[in-house]
Amino acid sequence: MAEPMGFFTDTTVCIGCKACEVACKEWNQLPATNGGVNVLSGLSYDNTVRLDGTHWRHVKFIEQFSPDRKEGRWLLMSDVCKHCVQAACLEVCPTGAIIRTEFDTVVIQSDVCNGCRYCITACPFDVIGINEVTGTAQKCTLCYDRLQAGLVPACAQACPTQSIQFGPIRELRQRAAARVAQLHAQGETRAYIYGDESMLGGLNSFYLLVDRPETYGLPANPQLPSKQAGPSWLFSAGSAIVAGLLGLLAFRKRRMDEAAQPAAGREA
Amino acid sequence: MLLERTNLFHWETLVYLEMFIAGVAAGAYGTAALLEWLGRGRSPLARTAHLLAFPLMLIAAFLLIIDLQRPERFWHMTLQSKTLLPMFKPWSPMSLGSLIILLFSAVAFISFVDAVIDRGALALGGWRQGRTLHGSALGRLWAVIGGLLAFGTASYSGVLLSVSNIPGWGQSTLIGALYVATAMVTGMAALLLLQALSGRVAPTDLVTLAQANTWLIVWWLVVLVLFVATLGGGAVFFLSGAALVALIGAVVLGGIVPLILWFGPARTGRAGAAAFAVLVLLGGLLVRYAVVMGPQQHG
Repeated sequence: MAEPMGFFTDTTVCIGCKACEVACKEWNQLPATNGGVNVLSGLSYDNTVRLDGTHWRHVKFIEQFSPDRKEGRWLLMSDVCKHCVQAACLEVCPTGAIIRTEFDTVVIQSDVCNGCRYCITACPFDVIGINEVTGTAQKCTLCYDRLQAGLVPACAQACPTQSIQFGPIRELRQRAAARVAQLHAQGETRAYIYGDESMLGGLNSFYLLVDRPETYGLPANPQLPSKQAGPSWLFSAGSAIVAGLLGLLAFRKRRMDEAAQPAAGREA
Repeated sequence: MLLERTNLFHWETLVYLEMFIAGVAAGAYGTAALLEWLGRGRSPLARTAHLLAFPLMLIAAFLLIIDLQRPERFWHMTLQSKTLLPMFKPWSPMSLGSLIILLFSAVAFISFVDAVIDRGALALGGWRQGRTLHGSALGRLWAVIGGLLAFGTASYSGVLLSVSNIPGWGQSTLIGALYVATAMVTGMAALLLLQALSGRVAPTDLVTLAQANTWLIVWWLVVLVLFVATLGGGAVFFLSGAALVALIGAVVLGGIVPLILWFGPARTGRAGAAAFAVLVLLGGLLVRYAVVMGPQQHG
């Protein structure tokens, strides 16, 4: 197996140019929204709004201004599938369409997916959506085809500020730690890494953030939904046992009543 | 904290209808299994359940298939599309559920054929009227297997909703328990309705069934209350809008009114029993609607 590969996205140097979005769309031949007719969302400079089946990269524009507009800052973040080490989508996919590649990335095989949409409900980051052209669930593949050819993913290649950095995860984590230390030394003490090994076994696409995860639309404590399975089955079994016993008792009671009063009626 | 979702997955009418219909099939078959264990595997009530469960499962499977974005690939749920080896991930409720549905449908089919044979409409060698599976020692074993698969069919879709990151669903581990109780209560109600409409059953037998159903209604209401009470912050998804109306409707129409009827006309007449059953079925459908649609109305 090749070394685990991924993205380190340093949001402090993102300039919101959306070159990553364009490069992703172009390389992966993803269709334009609304047939290419521009529809303004009214949400800052963000008109694609979210990650979904046809937007595998999404640049978030977060405006933080004081009420009098005298102080303010922009938070910019190029979001993408996190390629979780413990991937909820991969776990729940009933067809085997979602696989882990030799690069430790998570890929949906479009020729296998039958569009059940369970992965959409399982993803803690709301990354996956249906591509209406293929009728299948889709998301970032971390340019699996390019990786197999020894190329850098299209978004990282296009990023002009190296906000999106691609490479072996081990090396990226060292680079990220050094960058956080640098920012702290410069006085930006809010800088931290989102997606270390404590989060779902580690996110293979992780971020340097300077505000709470929720500010960026990220969950503070993403969970694998499968932790619910054990208790759910257990409570279901308990409910079935109670229902079964009640049914048995009701039928048996009636039978005993009938035995006591032979004329009461025949068997149910 | 669960993330606010923007990607819609549209598990809507087809899904809650499928859950309702499969639940009725599982509940009816579960009732037949109980009767089998009480030595009444060939009773008219058990036979009605055998005749009902398989056709309902066919409808449920059809609904599931047409709800897929790529229905022609439905078989990918059970066979690996590239190798044709079995596709089975027991830790995935949908994968496990696909297998359970397949097996339950197969078991229900045998019971369906057995019921047809019992009516003298068919004979297959030694498998003929008077020598049927149900009502025999093997029938008891069959009822154990079928009963367990009916439980799986009734519960897996609820577990599936809990095993998600959708706010509301992902905050409860009692949806499966609620679904099992709903399946039993609606399955029994469907049998009661068919018995009442057929006119072939003695009124006292209807009372037996209605009484069993009444006890289960109480259990169903208990689980429903527990489900809502343990939702915490997720309650907002079920206690607002159409989901709230549906839940109130379910409790009143499917729970309270039938219990009131039980002490009145349902105890004595066929029409009362039929009304009782229809209300319970309606209540079950409303619960399925509320559970499935509640969180999605906040998307």
